[in-house]
Amino acid sequence: MKKSIEPTAICEFSAMRRPMTLQEAICEAERCLLCEDAPCSKGCPAGTDPGRFIRQIKFRNFKGAARTIRNNNILGSTCAHVCPTDKTCARACSAKGLTTPIDIAGLQRFAIAYGRENGLKPLEAPSVDGQAVAVIGAGPAGLACAAELARQGHKVTVFEKDPVPGGVPRWNIPDFRLPVEEVAADCAQLADLGVEIRCGFTVDTPEKVNEIMDKFTAVVVATGLNEAFALPLFDGAPNVFDYIAWLRRAKTDRERFASDVAGKRVAIIGGGSVAMDAAVTARALGAARVTLVSLEHLGELPADLEEIELGHLMDVVFRDGAMITGVEKYEGGHIVALTGTEIEWIEPGKFVPANARPVLHTQFSLATDFVVLAIGTRPVFAHLFSALPTWDKKCFAPAGEDRPWSAAGKLFAVGDVVNRGTMAVQAVGEGKKTAQAVHAFIAGGAK
Amino acid sequence: MTHKKADLSVQFCGVHFENPFCLSSSPVGNHAEMCARAFDAGWGGIAYKTLNVDSSFKIVMPSPRLNAYHYNDKRFVGLQNAEQITDRSLADNLKDIAELKRKYPGRVLISSIMGFTSDDWTLLAKKSEEVGADMLELNFSCPQMARKDAGHRVGQDYDLVERFTAVVKKASRLPVLAKMTPNITDMIPVALAAKRGGADAISAINTIRAITDIDLETLTPMPIIFGKSGITGFSGPAAKPIGMRFVSELYSSDELSLPVAAIGGVETWRDALHYILLGAGTVQVTTAIMRHGYRIVEDMIEGLSDFMLERGISSLEEIRGAAAKKLIDPSNFDVRHQVVSQIDEKKCIGCGQCYISCQDGANQAIVFDAEKRKAKVDETRCVGCTLCRHVCPVWDCVTTRTVDTQTTSHAAIF
Repeated sequence: MKKSIEPTAICEFSAMRRPMTLQEAICEAERCLLCEDAPCSKGCPAGTDPGRFIRQIKFRNFKGAARTIRNNNILGSTCAHVCPTDKTCARACSAKGLTTPIDIAGLQRFAIAYGRENGLKPLEAPSVDGQAVAVIGAGPAGLACAAELARQGHKVTVFEKDPVPGGVPRWNIPDFRLPVEEVAADCAQLADLGVEIRCGFTVDTPEKVNEIMDKFTAVVVATGLNEAFALPLFDGAPNVFDYIAWLRRAKTDRERFASDVAGKRVAIIGGGSVAMDAAVTARALGAARVTLVSLEHLGELPADLEEIELGHLMDVVFRDGAMITGVEKYEGGHIVALTGTEIEWIEPGKFVPANARPVLHTQFSLATDFVVLAIGTRPVFAHLFSALPTWDKKCFAPAGEDRPWSAAGKLFAVGDVVNRGTMAVQAVGEGKKTAQAVHAFIAGGAK
Repeated sequence: MTHKKADLSVQFCGVHFENPFCLSSSPVGNHAEMCARAFDAGWGGIAYKTLNVDSSFKIVMPSPRLNAYHYNDKRFVGLQNAEQITDRSLADNLKDIAELKRKYPGRVLISSIMGFTSDDWTLLAKKSEEVGADMLELNFSCPQMARKDAGHRVGQDYDLVERFTAVVKKASRLPVLAKMTPNITDMIPVALAAKRGGADAISAINTIRAITDIDLETLTPMPIIFGKSGITGFSGPAAKPIGMRFVSELYSSDELSLPVAAIGGVETWRDALHYILLGAGTVQVTTAIMRHGYRIVEDMIEGLSDFMLERGISSLEEIRGAAAKKLIDPSNFDVRHQVVSQIDEKKCIGCGQCYISCQDGANQAIVFDAEKRKAKVDETRCVGCTLCRHVCPVWDCVTTRTVDTQTTSHAAIF
């Protein structure tokens, strides 16, 4: 049932997946086995409960399906666009025992669209009798936490440094994978719940932190990972980007960006999801040749399968199992070529740079006009919340195995800044759980 | 290379059919050009679209006149129609029949007829014989006739059936099939009335009066014929179980003891064979042709031929009625022996459908291991209903084991 993805849509930065038609949704839901104790529902970190909403679709209760998704996952549409379902809900889908897993994300997109087009009433703000809670960061974890707290009757204010909410899904995921309207529609539900989102407000000084700590009964830090790693090798070169800047420019300044990149050669360093997004974006912008250089070999890439397939579809050249060893520069520090070598792992199965060793006589040279570094991120503002325990001086330590938040008194932290970066759906789930912890803290006298 | 083929021919009321697969009287046999293509495809016989004396009553078809019954993603499980008997002139139809018999002398052409008066019946029978039809089929069963005193209303009136059959038998020497309506509790008395009138065989079933759908915008049943609808004839795969019941009853009636032309939901050689095993001499098809075209007969011929060769069956007569003979009254079922279900753990894909169905629809005899995602039968609770077997999405995962309740305890006997 899954429709092939059209490169033209990607080049236009419009949604690469056509929405499921009613017919497609009915046929796909019909394949669902409506399992006892549905493994898909158990596999969703956000508790979206696909087992229930697919059953609702199958029994023609389309609006009910939309309600289930929205009640369980405030970022239902965002997740339906970007979830690597083969790692979550669809991983243990029983239909695999017959043919292929159910296209759960497709059905989720269908139900949400159906609700929107058929007058599903917006969420209602509950009567507020709770406490004032601040959430710092309007990404998936912060928004999910804020929504859940609002549902518990608390008055929630979200502080967001960017001009619009959404975090990584809004700024770092290309439009063809996740149209901005979808993130905006998800975020709009926060307002329906009575959550106030203050955009353009960066919590970047101890004074601001203190002010918020004084004014609110509880404070949730959900600031995410917002600074990309750099490599000294590339310092000072004007044609080197980090992936955050690269992807963000495609969102905010696409036309001029495209005229800069069109016909050029782009080298992407990294093998994860963001590297794939950066590479496909480069091709969509019109880059003539995009080469993705990764330590990992093709089968070892940490990127999701669909992202890698997208890379192949867009003719990204994979220079896998390779490392960059040097750069060639023109005057002004402008990089014109990279030099590298193929690698092998010293110890099999350990995909970290320290475990890589060059293979003799495999040196290569790669001419390039742009270099994009997509090798990881770290939090910027974590040090401002010194009351919270950290585990590697960068991210906060979670409170426990089933308690994915970090806590110290009235201060809580959740999302990428604790879990060091996973999926949006994971952040939503952890945001919901953290909201429960915050609620319990307030109910227990907020001490 | 041609492979060996079984002899599929049948003798039916003294008429030789090269195979038992026929078109039933319907739009699939509307005129000569269509019928010629059907013969070319390999059909053994054709019951031509029901003739009418157009000077006696003018037929105008309603439209839209079809609505399909869909089951979720499964299309066309059944078909409802408000089709009438032929709306072409009798002269044109007779010319077509004559032409077909000239071109296909070895194939069987059954002239289906419907009169509104004894004179109509007489005329239609005589004319059909004149142009070379091999048999006559009397349409006592169209469920949506544009005239209130015709079609299935005749088929529910024993006296009229007997009288009109007798009229036809008097007018023609051709073998006569009386086509029955299923819209009746017991078909045997009507079939016996036809027999008293001289019928040589019974055709069954015509379509079942039904409503397939209701449009929820306009709150109107479908098909919507300019704001209104009607209870009209239903056919196709969903009708086959009902057709099989009637055919077996006709075959099993010693008092009736007439050959049966079976009709109702046949798509494959297996469907046709089912009817033959319930006593049918020939099998007539329409809905499957409307859906898939005349070509399906190729697979019917090849499939049935292979079945016969595999089983060493030299003539369909050898197996005709074999399944009907296994039908007994439910009061006589062997209840000393019972079964219990067995789930093949290797084939189980862990969906738990059997567990859900057994919990809410049977005897709570299945245990579902949520950790391993495997279902298991608790034999002390299993009553052998086999609901689990039928809901399991893996067709051969659930089997049964027989238990003799005189030597082993069973949940059904306590």
